[in-house]
Amino acid sequence: MSYITDYQYYENEGTNPTNSNWGSYQFVSLDDIVTNFMLMYVGNDKLINNVEKYNILFHAKRGIQELNYDAMKEIKILELSVCDQLRYVLPPDYVNWVRVSIYQNGVLMPLTENIQTNWSSSYLQDNDCKILFDEFGNILKPENSTIDMDRISGSKKSLYLNSNSSQDGNMGYNVDGAWFFDYSVGQRYGLNTETANSNPTFKINKASGVINFSSGVSDKLVILEYVSDGMENGVDSEINLNKLFEDFIYAYIKYAILTSKYGVQEYIINRAKKEKTALLRNAKIRLSNIHPGRLLMNLRGQDKWLK
Amino acid sequence: MINTVRATVLSIANKNNYGYITPSDFNLYAKQAQLDIFEDYFYQYNSWIIKQNARVSGSEYADILKGLVEVIDSFSETRGLTTPGINLYNLPENYYLINKINYYPNAIFSSTTTAGGVNTLTDANATFVATGTVLPGQFVTNTTLTSVSSGFGAYVVSVDSETQLTLSNNPFGSAATVGNSYTIVSTTGIKEIERVSQNKIFYLNSSPLTSPNITYPAYVLGGGNSVSTGNTITVYPDTIIGSGKVLSQYIRYPLDPNWTYSSLAGGEPVFDEGAADYQDFELPDSDEPNLVNKILQYAGVSIRENDIAVFGNMQEQEDNQQQS
Repeated sequence: MSYITDYQYYENEGTNPTNSNWGSYQFVSLDDIVTNFMLMYVGNDKLINNVEKYNILFHAKRGIQELNYDAMKEIKILELSVCDQLRYVLPPDYVNWVRVSIYQNGVLMPLTENIQTNWSSSYLQDNDCKILFDEFGNILKPENSTIDMDRISGSKKSLYLNSNSSQDGNMGYNVDGAWFFDYSVGQRYGLNTETANSNPTFKINKASGVINFSSGVSDKLVILEYVSDGMENGVDSEINLNKLFEDFIYAYIKYAILTSKYGVQEYIINRAKKEKTALLRNAKIRLSNIHPGRLLMNLRGQDKWLK
Repeated sequence: MINTVRATVLSIANKNNYGYITPSDFNLYAKQAQLDIFEDYFYQYNSWIIKQNARVSGSEYADILKGLVEVIDSFSETRGLTTPGINLYNLPENYYLINKINYYPNAIFSSTTTAGGVNTLTDANATFVATGTVLPGQFVTNTTLTSVSSGFGAYVVSVDSETQLTLSNNPFGSAATVGNSYTIVSTTGIKEIERVSQNKIFYLNSSPLTSPNITYPAYVLGGGNSVSTGNTITVYPDTIIGSGKVLSQYIRYPLDPNWTYSSLAGGEPVFDEGAADYQDFELPDSDEPNLVNKILQYAGVSIRENDIAVFGNMQEQEDNQQQS
């Protein structure tokens, strides 16, 4: 991409959307990556020749995908309201989740993933537990399984210490001014921190592409932080990469092509592999933004007395 | 050069008027010789790349590769590809090697010429100035399928008036300058259309990561059709349609040499460089010895003179040894 004027940067020359160039200097486009690679790394006097552009495009995209999964920290955030089905449909570019929170009373409350399942598919059965089929031999399925119906209706109990806990609201008895509950006598002392959360919980059904929540989330705003693969819904012209990873992506493409090409000496492949690994490490360090100012802020708490 | 080549050939072969070569025979041999040497340039190019990578080739004046590239590039042409209306395009009939096919997505203006003129485009219905979108540097293609100049192109040199442009050459030919359809495209945002083999195009179209799109288009080479006797290409995605938006940079075949004469003087034809069908060799002067040697080989076989054929062959081998 060629350099742009300040007016283009701030106002997009008056064309809507005027903010489309803000922050663009951080990134290098996929088109530039492929063009630069063809220009600088492919040729009769280079390690790579006689390679089709779609090979380079493929490896460039794969490299960008891999970086998006873990190294780049390009978190996308989506807010949606969850209705009485207690279901949050995953966004179209979702690959993996980072954090799920509910936003209520001006506070963002991170939710805990349920370690048990809270959904299931189901088959219809008769009184003898035999599975029922239709005339084509396919299994008949109900719309919701029992566990789903209970979850949606709010009757499903939770092992978490929230309003759906099986002990929530149970009457106890008072001995010498102290309250005791049958289930919890002697048990709350060894609190299981994994389930000690008063917020609602969620479980992701990857195959169905939804997040299923426990009943406390109905009519709440849910904020999903997730990672995508950077493919921008298949619009190649919008795919870009942080410049800190530019050298890495060239090294990645070079390695990927050399390693799949016939007759390339092993020492050349190893050299490319080392270069790729070292550049990824470099880029991660750069992106982590470790600098004295930030370390100083962290270290200021080192002498704090813990009570 | 063609006259000196002919004179040299006759001087060697025509001892005692025994080895006279008629102009028509000479032209046939000259065509064969030129094609032979022309094709040899590509093999030499490949051979010198291998030598360069083995570090046995020098730079500056010793850069043999540079000279070879210059000769090959002198046969480079850029021409717009015409289409019967879908994503199928006709290749130029005179191409030897398609080097690049580019997609010009930004069509500025399309219409039909209403008057003739050398290196000009006149369209009484156009408003080149008022629209302000037609600018010098843009490319004009003759998109008339039936024109002998179909696909010929030129750059806009200046916008002279609302209805007239000055072009870098004449894409509409000298005879059919009126009623030719044309398209003007911007030379920004050009995308290279990548060649893909017939075996791969199905997989490419099926792949979510590499399927051809406007940013990364692709084409496959096909056979001729009812419109074009030469090859055609099919461009993907199939939304790329319209003549004048797909341009090809290719290496064309050299034109057939034609030694022309006007009259006979003393039984000898007199060379006429001004004849309409005169055509000199298109190879550089440095190829003159090669041309003479090649023609001598053909002539020697023709007149059953083994000495001449052997001489031509020997000279050629000597040249090859020196150059390798």
